[in-house]
Amino acid sequence: MEKKSVWKRITGSREASLVLILAVMLIVVNILSGGTFLTLNNIYQIFLNNTLTMLMALGMLCVMLTAGIDISITSTLAFTGMIIGMLQKKAGFTNTLLLFLIAAVIGLACGFLNGLIISKGKLAPIICTMGFMYIWRGLAYVVSNNEWASGADVAHFAEFGKAGSPGPLIVLLVAYVFFFVLMKWTTFGRRIYAVGSNAEAARISGINVDAVITWAYTIMGTLAGIAGAMSVSIYASAQPNMQYGKEMDVIAACVIGGVSMNGGRGTVVGTFLGALFYAVLAKALPLVGLDAIWQNLIKGVVVLVVVLVNVITQRAMDKANLERREM
Amino acid sequence: MAGKSGREINATPQNSLKKKILSWEGGLVLIFIGVLIFGSVVSPSYTFTNVLREMPKYLAELFMMFAMGFILVIGEIDISVGAIVCLSATLTCFINRAGAPMVVQVIACLLIGLACGCLNGIIATNFTELPTMIITLGTQIIFRGIAEVSMGSGGSIALTDTAGFAKIGGRIGPFPIAFFLIILTAVIYIFVLSRTTFGRKLYAVGSNKTAALYAGIPVQRIRWICMTLIGLMAGICALFMLATTFGANTTTGQGFEMDVIAMCVFGGIATTGGKGNLVGATLAGFTIVCLRIALGQLNMSGQTILVIIGILLIASALIPGISQSISNKKKRAAV
Amino acid sequence: MSANVSEDLILELRGITKIFPGVKALNNVQFKLRRGEVHALMGENGAGKSTFIKVITGVHAAEEGSMYLNGTEVHFKGPKDALAAGIAAVYQHPTIYPELTVTENIFMGHEFKKSGFIQWRAMNQEAKKLLDRLDADFKPTEEMGALSVAQQQMVEIAKALSTHAKIIILDEPTAALTANESEKLYRIVDQLKAEGVSIIFISHRMEDMYRLAERVTVFRDSQYIGTYDVDKITTPDLIKAMVGREITDMYPKPKVEIGKEIFRFENMSRMGYFKDVALNIRAGEIVGLTGLVGAGRTETIQAVCGIVKPDSGKVFVEGKEVTIRNPKDAMDAGIILLPEDRSKQGLILKWGLGDNVILPIQDKLAKGPFKVKNEKAEYALSKRLLEDVDTKAVTIFDGAGTLSGGNQQKVVVAKALAQDNMKVLIMDEPTKGVDVGAKAEIYAIMGDLAKQGFGILLISSEMSEILGMSDRIYTMCKGRVTGCVDITEATQEGLLELSMEKGKEAAE
Repeated sequence: MEKKSVWKRITGSREASLVLILAVMLIVVNILSGGTFLTLNNIYQIFLNNTLTMLMALGMLCVMLTAGIDISITSTLAFTGMIIGMLQKKAGFTNTLLLFLIAAVIGLACGFLNGLIISKGKLAPIICTMGFMYIWRGLAYVVSNNEWASGADVAHFAEFGKAGSPGPLIVLLVAYVFFFVLMKWTTFGRRIYAVGSNAEAARISGINVDAVITWAYTIMGTLAGIAGAMSVSIYASAQPNMQYGKEMDVIAACVIGGVSMNGGRGTVVGTFLGALFYAVLAKALPLVGLDAIWQNLIKGVVVLVVVLVNVITQRAMDKANLERREM
Repeated sequence: MAGKSGREINATPQNSLKKKILSWEGGLVLIFIGVLIFGSVVSPSYTFTNVLREMPKYLAELFMMFAMGFILVIGEIDISVGAIVCLSATLTCFINRAGAPMVVQVIACLLIGLACGCLNGIIATNFTELPTMIITLGTQIIFRGIAEVSMGSGGSIALTDTAGFAKIGGRIGPFPIAFFLIILTAVIYIFVLSRTTFGRKLYAVGSNKTAALYAGIPVQRIRWICMTLIGLMAGICALFMLATTFGANTTTGQGFEMDVIAMCVFGGIATTGGKGNLVGATLAGFTIVCLRIALGQLNMSGQTILVIIGILLIASALIPGISQSISNKKKRAAV
Repeated sequence: MSANVSEDLILELRGITKIFPGVKALNNVQFKLRRGEVHALMGENGAGKSTFIKVITGVHAAEEGSMYLNGTEVHFKGPKDALAAGIAAVYQHPTIYPELTVTENIFMGHEFKKSGFIQWRAMNQEAKKLLDRLDADFKPTEEMGALSVAQQQMVEIAKALSTHAKIIILDEPTAALTANESEKLYRIVDQLKAEGVSIIFISHRMEDMYRLAERVTVFRDSQYIGTYDVDKITTPDLIKAMVGREITDMYPKPKVEIGKEIFRFENMSRMGYFKDVALNIRAGEIVGLTGLVGAGRTETIQAVCGIVKPDSGKVFVEGKEVTIRNPKDAMDAGIILLPEDRSKQGLILKWGLGDNVILPIQDKLAKGPFKVKNEKAEYALSKRLLEDVDTKAVTIFDGAGTLSGGNQQKVVVAKALAQDNMKVLIMDEPTKGVDVGAKAEIYAIMGDLAKQGFGILLISSEMSEILGMSDRIYTMCKGRVTGCVDITEATQEGLLELSMEKGKEAAE
């Protein structure tokens, strides 16, 4: 009896089952790779390579909790990243903190625009963010003016994110702890859940739904802006096509982590596990003898399987509930 | 019948010219003409023949736009079509390299697209709990993944025998073949959506799925048909892509799904379903193609157009809402 | 200020007018709530009660009128202001957050905080206290979506209590409850009253009003009709106030020669919803089907009509078995359904009336192999049918969403009539939210169709309607048929007993 309830609790909670699957995966990969996988350096690499996705997944969590979606994020990233690069190349900015601050502010403005148009203009989130996906990406090209900023242009700034530097990981850690507290322990976080769960009810209980939605996109934009600067720092280059199409990775990480597209459901822990799962998968494939070119295919299959299994278990649960109903 | 009061209900449709001009499509015609004038003013080489010569590069996408119109009208979305184009083009290259006859290549190209769309449709109709956005997000990564795996580490593949595809990319007089096919496709799709009962069923499904079901419309079959259809159109798109690029790589078709959705929305089709028509989308599609050519001739960075498309997209989606709230205010005042 | 100084009013509204695009939802209404009383607010669906509640709670801003709380004029800018002033509402459709816990549902908008952070433990404890006070049988940490409607309603009441509200508004709280659960709710209301809370109570059930309220205010057609002492007004007078006239001629049932069996289904089962349901209808017969909410009537009919798949069951039309896999099969067999929810299942509100009417039969009118829309035929047919049912509309292109409930229902009836192979018409709650004039017209159409030899199944929770129109009445309870009574032997009490019999057994 007791055993069954533990098993049920694990399968019943997305976070617990993800931890279980992750653990199994890590052990299997570690054995297959002859113990070379779970090294400190490798783990560091996994996080460093996925800093951008993991960072933006937090914002996507907020947006998806309000039953929205933001596909403009990598364009925002490229736009801010490009500006950060050019500020160094053309204007000689070198202060790392200041550059990150500028990136955050630009991202914040981009996100705020999204939020404002979606909440006040009643635009479908996918359309509005698609529009800005084009606009920011286009402006990134305008800013670049057919030039890249790389190498010596951004040498000082790249110190922060170069291999071996703890900078990006610290940013990640701070962000995840901050959001964990924000989403669980503050009324602001709970408002986001409320709006996504039932916007009409939220309005009736006096929550300013439009403001909450605007905030969610603003947070997303800010994180995308910071990710833009981070990208320049980690890859030591700013180019207008950076991270093109990667917004889908961020969304996929959230979906794996149990964030519902219908809003109201999803946690910071789940998001972290989803992003980590995605990251570990990418790193593990070569070690088990699969070429890097298999990565996307496997990722896609995983995303699809996760969402389908979700539906199937839900159906089984509903059926069990109906069987119990007396007649 | 009992209780009949003999009240007359008018059944004559009112079609005024003023309404037609003031409609969304009317506005698009003006914008289209505006783009043509803009092009010929800023660039001396923006001539009829030059525009037509440049066109094939941009036309292939348009095939998918019509089917995307159907998808949006029934209130769904498909973001896997760009990946389908990539997969279809890649595998066709392999078939080409194996020396299969042209007919086989063409049929294979279309069938691969069809099969991908069919798969999307099967998942969507058997797992109705899932939004099509999520389903196609998953299959999109898979389709492109298969293409990447089959291309191997080089990340690209080329046709060896290009003669057949060169013919497909050829012209009749000044017009590219693709142009005629686009027009034909447009006529068929517009006819189906606006003149047939099937078209009305699409609107019914997009406006209210439950009411459509209660009215005896096979909602799930229609969803499946539309998703399969866009797969087929992606196959056609892949065919014409190959006719201009003679090969494929991992980025083939990237972003096409967004482009065609943008054209549809600019053409007045709402992503919430049940609203808009393909006349508008066709006009919007050609407007964007001609704008791209014009900016290309200006030697403007090709990407600058992204900003313009983005602004058009948001503006065209915002306008109906704004005019609605204005008319609501008027109604309120009239009570 | 109020001229009537002798009354101790906690809340007063005067001259309230609320306009929605195209309609006046409230027209110069007034309302007075005495301190510590239970005040019923009654009226037909669409009379403006729910809108009125939303004006009180600040969800809607009224275009005209003023509101006084404890004698001082107040202007609520939003629901928050109303909550702060001590007014809480429990809405008809519980406004819940299904993904969140009970505790969160109770405290959303007024959480316990300490230096900015939410005090989950304190909130859970307080929630437990509130639930204990209401004698609830679930934990505050449970997910809201997993609870039954009655339990969710209890959470809503706990939410109102948690704000220390002085005025609590209950909007149709018993609509989805069983007799037992209703009794529990009555006790909660008594308790609240004893604690000095003033309560506004909206309900359609006369028994709710008699059991709880001291005074009753009646709205009709968006207007204020009057306020009465419950013990001084008779039921017929009250009904007259609500519907605007005597209802002696409400059910114009014609004498019809009843023919052979035209429709029958048997052994209908779907796990968790209904079991072994069987029913038959003869030509020209109006068969009633009644039961409490949740008895499985609608679900059974949905299965019969191919909307959902039953686990088992056979359907016969004119003695021959028909296979029904989807709604179209049912329509082709001549089984036409008038669905329960007009605006979601019956109509596409954004569309014109004509398009709605011909939607199920457009393929039959269409021309050529490509099924081109035959607009000429469509216009002519929809015009004729809409005129037949006497729809109040100017053109067939009017948006269905712009019509009143009654007229919308007429459009749905016209849509059913468009199907000329109809043999049996299943009407699921056909007069819900329909004003009284249109109600009588729908009954007239129903009688007319019976006369023409169609079989009619009338599903309704309204006893007077069932008793007024049916030849034979089935009752259902908890997914099973519990009785079949001829009209000559049927009484309201008898039917109610049959509807609840098994429910009572199970609950005890």
